[in-house]
Amino acid sequence: MSAALHVDNVSIAFGGLKAVSDFSLTLREGTLHGLIGPNGAGKTTVFNLLTGVYQADHGTISLGSQRMNGLKPNQIARAGMVRTFQNIRLFGDLTVLDNVRIACWSRTTTNTLAALFRTPAHMAEEAAIAERARELLDIFDLLPREREQAKNLPYGAQRRLEIARALAMDPKVLLLDEPAAGMNPQEKIALRGLIRKVREQFGLSVLLIEHDMGLVMDICERITVLDHGEVIADGEPSAVQRNPKVIEAYLGAPNEED
Amino acid sequence: MTTLVQTLIDGVALGSLYALIALGYTMVYGILRFINFAHSDIFMLGAWFSCTIAGLLGWAVGTPPTWAFIVVLLAAMAACGLLGFIIERLAYRPLRSAPRINVLITAIGVSLFLENFGQLPKIFGNTPTKMPALIPDIALGSFAGVRLSLVNLIVIVVAVVLMGALEWLIYGTKLGRAMRAVSYDTKTAALMGIDVDRVISITFVVGSALAAAAGFLQAAKIVAVQQPAHVSWVQLGLKAFVAAVIGGIGNVRGAMIGGVLLGLVEMLGGAYLSSELRVVYVFTMLILVLLLKPEGLLGKTTVEKV
Repeated sequence: MSAALHVDNVSIAFGGLKAVSDFSLTLREGTLHGLIGPNGAGKTTVFNLLTGVYQADHGTISLGSQRMNGLKPNQIARAGMVRTFQNIRLFGDLTVLDNVRIACWSRTTTNTLAALFRTPAHMAEEAAIAERARELLDIFDLLPREREQAKNLPYGAQRRLEIARALAMDPKVLLLDEPAAGMNPQEKIALRGLIRKVREQFGLSVLLIEHDMGLVMDICERITVLDHGEVIADGEPSAVQRNPKVIEAYLGAPNEED
Repeated sequence: MTTLVQTLIDGVALGSLYALIALGYTMVYGILRFINFAHSDIFMLGAWFSCTIAGLLGWAVGTPPTWAFIVVLLAAMAACGLLGFIIERLAYRPLRSAPRINVLITAIGVSLFLENFGQLPKIFGNTPTKMPALIPDIALGSFAGVRLSLVNLIVIVVAVVLMGALEWLIYGTKLGRAMRAVSYDTKTAALMGIDVDRVISITFVVGSALAAAAGFLQAAKIVAVQQPAHVSWVQLGLKAFVAAVIGGIGNVRGAMIGGVLLGLVEMLGGAYLSSELRVVYVFTMLILVLLLKPEGLLGKTTVEKV
């Protein structure tokens, strides 16, 4: 199986603090890969490195065969690596539909001049974007609320909208940052089904940060564990679960004195 | 009654100018969260460019064709749009990640630069000049003593058309969607594939072009064009800024409403109270709005995060 995303020995330091050191990860095509670790382990920093918000001090990031180092966030997003956020970051003042349509930006070809003259190509493109956006909203049960402002949606719906918006960019790799945070048990169960469904339907490779171990162990085919900015384990969920280093990182060392 | 109708017409015409300038302040603030103090100078340059371009095209003497004003208006808008693009590229973009106060001080620097550079003998010089009469000074009609001059009508029509076009751009096109997204959350917009730098450049171009239109209309209206560093430019720019604040800074529709409202207040106060205190009404209104609705008429309350 080929790698959708290949991260090799990536490090970043903020002042004297090594936030992530020598992080490597191979996300195989079509897999659901979990990235877990205690609070402050550097998981979100990894996402910021992958999406170009931070530039790695050294190491390489490749999406398929394309190097991502040095690209700007919008270029990386258009190359096909798209994320959602731990704390929801929708465009709250915009309608639900517009939130998704904005992300369809990447598939537009006509410019504002074409919009000014309402050329047939432009009108067809706008129609196609609207249709595509509504398709996505339908998958996420958001279609009835397409005209509402995103900030007025209930919490669970906002989380779903974030995923819909990310998918609108036609990503190859989807990065989900704690999609289940703040969800109730029913919503979490629905989310599991949804993540699986979009993976199948869109042929995605997914990297998932999540604290809910039940969810991670259930849906991920592979797991990488991060602690203090370093990878301490990587493998199948069952193997990772038994790994003493992982247990130590989560529960503390057995012989530690009080 | 005659005075009232006349004052309302004059007020709307003046307010339209404020609104056009206020839009530039508010659009830049909406996206970059800083006050572009050089904006009043773009307005000034709009007037000077109009004057110069009309002169170059040979319309300073004789009777220019009726369509001349459209040519000059568009040329001045294009020139200022280009200038806005260059200023953003050279002065503001390198400071994108700097503290906001640095950008603010840079804006003041750009403003002083434009004023004083414009005063150089080889550029515009330091004496006032006369705007070529592109729009003949005629009254379209007098109804019971109320006079609607052609200039005022053109001011209002051009302002309405441009504001309509802006409204369409922001709420009806995908570029507008991108602008609204960048304004709401720049970082997330970038992660959604929007080229933020490009959107910011376009914002500056559009804002500067609108200010240039206001500069042209102002010059056409009062015929005389003051020297580039004259205090009246700053004062007009400041009033437009007040209009943006009254409407709710960062809010495009607010800037339009704030501008027209301010023009009306200024003219009504001038007509019925004392014409010497016109500036006072403007700032009294600012104080009232800041006391009663600090976020502006259409602005939204920002919650301080602790």
